[in-house]
Amino acid sequence: MASRSSALVRPPAFRGIGRSILLTLPMALWSLLIFTPSFRQAGRNQHIGAAAVILFMTALFFLMMRTGETYRWRRIFFVALGFLFPVGFIAALVAERGTMSIPISRMVSGDTPFCFMVTPSIILPAAFARTVIFPGSILPTASNPHSIAIMIGLWFALTLVMGKAWCSYACFFGGIEEGFAAIAKRRRLHRFVTRFGPQLRLIPWAILIFVVLLSAAIFEPVYCMWLCPFKAVTEFPAVRNVETAIQMGVFVALFVGLVVVLPYLTKKRTQCGFFCPFGAFQSLFNKINLFEIRFNREKCVDCGLCQTSCPTVALSKDSVREGKTLLNCMKCGACVDACKKNAAVWHLKGTPVAAKPERARLLFLYGTWALATMFGGSVLANGVHTLIGFLPLK
Amino acid sequence: MAALSFSASAGEALVLGLATGPVCLATCGPVVVPWIMVQPQGVRGHSRQLLLFLAARLAGYLVFACAAWLVGSAIPHSWTGRSWLMGGIQILLAAALVVYAAGWPHRRCAVAKTTANLVQIGEAPVTKRSGALALGFLTGINLCPPFLVAGVRAAQLAHLSAALLFFFCFFAGTAVWFIPFLSLGFLKRTPAVVAVARMVAVLLAFWYGFSGVSILIERTFHG
Amino acid sequence: MRTRILSILAYTGAALTLVVAICVPFVLMGAFSNAVAHAGLHIDAAYSGGTVARTIDRGRYTIVVYQPVEPRLLERIEPFVQIVFEPADALPSHVSDEFDLDGDGRPDVRVSFNLPADPNAPLHGDVTALNNNFVSLSNVGGESFSRMVVRAGNKIVVRVPLHEGPARR
Repeated sequence: MASRSSALVRPPAFRGIGRSILLTLPMALWSLLIFTPSFRQAGRNQHIGAAAVILFMTALFFLMMRTGETYRWRRIFFVALGFLFPVGFIAALVAERGTMSIPISRMVSGDTPFCFMVTPSIILPAAFARTVIFPGSILPTASNPHSIAIMIGLWFALTLVMGKAWCSYACFFGGIEEGFAAIAKRRRLHRFVTRFGPQLRLIPWAILIFVVLLSAAIFEPVYCMWLCPFKAVTEFPAVRNVETAIQMGVFVALFVGLVVVLPYLTKKRTQCGFFCPFGAFQSLFNKINLFEIRFNREKCVDCGLCQTSCPTVALSKDSVREGKTLLNCMKCGACVDACKKNAAVWHLKGTPVAAKPERARLLFLYGTWALATMFGGSVLANGVHTLIGFLPLK
Repeated sequence: MAALSFSASAGEALVLGLATGPVCLATCGPVVVPWIMVQPQGVRGHSRQLLLFLAARLAGYLVFACAAWLVGSAIPHSWTGRSWLMGGIQILLAAALVVYAAGWPHRRCAVAKTTANLVQIGEAPVTKRSGALALGFLTGINLCPPFLVAGVRAAQLAHLSAALLFFFCFFAGTAVWFIPFLSLGFLKRTPAVVAVARMVAVLLAFWYGFSGVSILIERTFHG
Repeated sequence: MRTRILSILAYTGAALTLVVAICVPFVLMGAFSNAVAHAGLHIDAAYSGGTVARTIDRGRYTIVVYQPVEPRLLERIEPFVQIVFEPADALPSHVSDEFDLDGDGRPDVRVSFNLPADPNAPLHGDVTALNNNFVSLSNVGGESFSRMVVRAGNKIVVRVPLHEGPARR
């Protein structure tokens, strides 16, 4: 157990400044490349937003290189994403129609922006009936640039590279609960999570199967219409009768419970780990993704620190004994950074475990952080630009 | 001539069933999938249970065929009263799902105690209370428009045996679409899989219960 | 030897993943989106209103009558027929029109509404069923996907519920 005095001693940096800068350079150039079009657009606020994001993402990547840690720098980006996305989104809704609720007229005109979380629900009806059970538009329109084709194309492209790491680097909702989980200094309900965690992490799979089957049966996006907690911070069907009032109540209750209160009490991502069917769906892509986290059994002392640190209970004693994570690992790096024996390592499938973990980590981070900058960075820039718009500046 | 007419009716019923099959697949899928996930692993192992399920479903079809023929053409296309029956059936289905989910193997058994991983080694024991008959029968009497069309056609046939055969052929056409469910036999029957199946069944029970009650309330107050 | 080959394959795969990542914003996202767009998918009729049956030209504006939309077995909508008036800004302040929806040459419903000058103001209307096949609506706005008189962009969308029964042309 680290003493108080040793906690005050700064550990040696993982990598020198020069090498860290060298490794960060490609990411800095990538950020410039992605956000250069923003500088061509008119608007000082957009320029500031883009510049802030370039600096922010580059700085975080530099710190990842310098310290050798992933989780806490990634978390800063992810929490920022989780909080800035609703800022930009809600501001746009209110500016356009004065409310967060979606009137039915917008649904029938195909103006509902497509959210990736509905993807599992639409697969079976699309495959068998060529029908998309979502009130959006297939192709982008002036009033709805977030069309189904665009969003599915984007999701698939990112998933090819990231796999389940989508839940740590792309999902613009997960950061909200990760933020609330980070607030409390100590975890409460620890025993509850330890005791019931193995059962709780099966719930997302049950909800996934339930949502997929029922959506195909009733031709409705069941998750969107009934179970999405993030309706509370984005947009939701206007309350026009008892049913829509019940739906709204469910959304708010799930958001408050799973995204705010439980993460605060448990310091876990309870919505992500114990509820989200999209997360379970993304877990399937871990089977084909090349990157994973493994455990070097020669170094592991079974202290359990990795399991305690995992935000989604993706580790069990038995899985660690086998040297692996569970299928729902979202590659956030928490266990790697927490492990005092360097037993938890980044791994490229097909190579020996713990042979070159830093190389595996770098290969993983370059691809993932590049896409995080492209996708999440755009959201951050929009959020910053929106916030600046609220300031009373001339 | 009678034989030609007879085979024409049978052919018509078979085609109607085949065309309706995807609808049956979609509407029965939510019930069949979690149920089949708790049946013994292996195609041979659970195909017997699936046959029981289908047999009970056929019984539902034949009961309706009898009713349709005996009542005559009193079950028209535009029978709004079917909503009452649909609501009642959904509530019964919800209750059945809860009862059988509670009876399916759960973590208290020895195999399930071993470990808490998502993927396990070891099989869940066979359950005696599988629910094949009840769930099969309740999903059999789904009064979809093609089902009612079949009912009206059956009611027009000269003999009860012809009506029963008509519905048997209609059933055969829909049953073909259940063959893909056999592929679930390859899924490992770990305690985690069984636990997920139970959860799915309970979630579906909530849905069917809510849907059934909503339909009945709607009919009560709005006619 | 086997370890070496696997390692080579692994690093090749990792490098390809990196290439894919770089290609995402410039090539892949567009390619995948185009693939989805050309997959022959369409929006569910409960949201889109179905397919167009015929168009009625009223000079300054057009009325589009759609095919009836019948719900699937467990789909929780009533059967309905959609009628669209467009463009909304060319419509008179009061609209009252009769329509033959089933193609038998006789009018089936009369649709009436007063169009507010402000496009953001709520819209309500009446639908009077002229036979037993359709359901009358009184002062309805956006009640449900099967019953509505709403302004959607520059169109007025009216959905008239049918009494439950077989699809009509």
